[in-house]
Amino acid sequence: MIYRPIVSFFASLMLLFAFSAPVHGEKEILIGLIPEENIFTQMDRHRPLAAYLSKKLGTKVRFTILSRYGDVLDRFMTRKMDGAFFGVFTSALAMEQLDAEPVAHPVNLEGSYAVESYIFARKDSNIKSVADMKGKRMAFVDKATVTGYLYAMSFLREHGIADPKTYLRDSFFTGSHGSTIYSVLDGRADIGTAKSKIFLMLVRKDHGIKDELTIIAKSPEFPDTTLFLRKDFPQGRRAQIRDALLGMDKDAEGKEVLKKLEASLFVEAKKSHFQSFYDVAKMAGINVKTYKYR
Amino acid sequence: MSIIKKRAVALSLGILFLVLPLLPSICFSAENTIGVIMPGDLPYYQEAHRAFIARLVREGISVKTGIIVQKPYPDAISLSNAARKLIATDVDIIVAYGAPAAVSVVNEQTRIPMVYAAAYEPYMSKIKTRNSTGITTKLSLSSLLRYLRGLTQISTLGVVYNGNEEDSLYQFREVSRLAEQYGIRVNGVNIKRHQEAKAKLNGSRFDAILITGSSVGHLAMPAISEFAREHKIPVGSFLLCRESHAVVTLATNPVEQGEKAAEKVIKILEGVSPEKIRVENAHDVELVFNFKEAVSMGWKLPMDLVTEATRLIK
Repeated sequence: MIYRPIVSFFASLMLLFAFSAPVHGEKEILIGLIPEENIFTQMDRHRPLAAYLSKKLGTKVRFTILSRYGDVLDRFMTRKMDGAFFGVFTSALAMEQLDAEPVAHPVNLEGSYAVESYIFARKDSNIKSVADMKGKRMAFVDKATVTGYLYAMSFLREHGIADPKTYLRDSFFTGSHGSTIYSVLDGRADIGTAKSKIFLMLVRKDHGIKDELTIIAKSPEFPDTTLFLRKDFPQGRRAQIRDALLGMDKDAEGKEVLKKLEASLFVEAKKSHFQSFYDVAKMAGINVKTYKYR
Repeated sequence: MSIIKKRAVALSLGILFLVLPLLPSICFSAENTIGVIMPGDLPYYQEAHRAFIARLVREGISVKTGIIVQKPYPDAISLSNAARKLIATDVDIIVAYGAPAAVSVVNEQTRIPMVYAAAYEPYMSKIKTRNSTGITTKLSLSSLLRYLRGLTQISTLGVVYNGNEEDSLYQFREVSRLAEQYGIRVNGVNIKRHQEAKAKLNGSRFDAILITGSSVGHLAMPAISEFAREHKIPVGSFLLCRESHAVVTLATNPVEQGEKAAEKVIKILEGVSPEKIRVENAHDVELVFNFKEAVSMGWKLPMDLVTEATRLIK
């Protein structure tokens, strides 16, 4: 019995260390990435950016890919992560539920920071309209993506389909935009929905894909990826990160990193950039403040 | 056995005898026979057939005495003979696995209802008649080619097909057209009997082999695998089979084929006309990577491909 207070003391001490150890930016800055494409390719593209930011900030910056979209918010909440590159849906969830603040958007090689959601099918499937989708199998990316789920739901509702789950024969989540596209190409799904950026990236790599898939619907434009930092992230560090990103296109080393990232520059992100998302969320009947992404 | 138990059993049997005549009679009898054509006795068709039988049994239909299975060699004459035998036996329904078997039944112009399974969809026009219904498959040739290209750089692709199997010939032509887009030269290996495979492959130089959905091609799998191992090149296939050494396979699930065929057979036995039974496309498409085979050949499967797999053979 005498050991119990000692055990309790050490347990309390360990808990104290566990919760107080990570101080923002002291040892490293950990930034999450949502799985957009193949995770290995995605990590390869982001590794040079981590090295560049580490050099500019004088602190190690590390990227980590989250297993699922929703996990990004969980990690944020458990204070294990300092920031994350969010997709538009997770951006809105982070703003509404965690009060996180947008920092910067990467601008693609075509000069835009916006993306669309595509709903597509194989050309030889003869699926061309909502009526043709009845009784088919649909592949989504994740419940917490606008380009890989929410827009498609709002599109179906807009076309009079009150309950897409019963209208479709089957639906499933693939976990990434790339996998959704391959699922439709292979015939594992009849219809898919994914981010235009990944769709066009795969078409650039394999021209045959363009001949095989047909786009049934396109969404309005949404900001693509946005770097968010925690609300309580130190202001000085936040400004350093923002300045490093916004200045990348002005130095040679930064330009090389942008090339690897398939981006032309970073621009400052604002909350007003997400209005198109809120319109779609309203149509889909989603309350972002209370939405459960799991 | 106690008196109460004996009475309960007697009562149950009594109720059973009273109720049985009231149930719609779909139980097999001497005049309810299913004829099955299973070309080449391929493992894929075997698996589909097991699922077919299991479904019939699950539905309470005794199948032990009501099924005649023909396992002809997958050539036109043998398939035609198998169809004729079943017609001569006056079976009530013919179940044909694969488009060539279904075509052989249609060619006999019989009125016996037919249910086809694993029939390649572009051949629908040839097998869809007033007396037939079934389940079709439509697989993406470009996807299999894409996965093979992901495994290795391909300049020359060997495509195993059988010019006598129309679906296989169609796939060969389609793959040739697609390959041209990627600057890949296609060398067709036309095998009409599986014993020819070794001789036809001998001396060939390919970077990869794609086996079309040919039954003969799949009977030749051991010879093709031996060649592929010797030259350390990947094989892609359209039919799942247990002995397959294909590194990547894109195929429809045979269990779904068998079960759907059984559903349609039951409807016909219940008196529904085949033309009123909807033809269905297979939904359950599998992408299988054979890790074991890749490792044995010293290959490293790219992770971006593996993550797409619905099943890994380890």
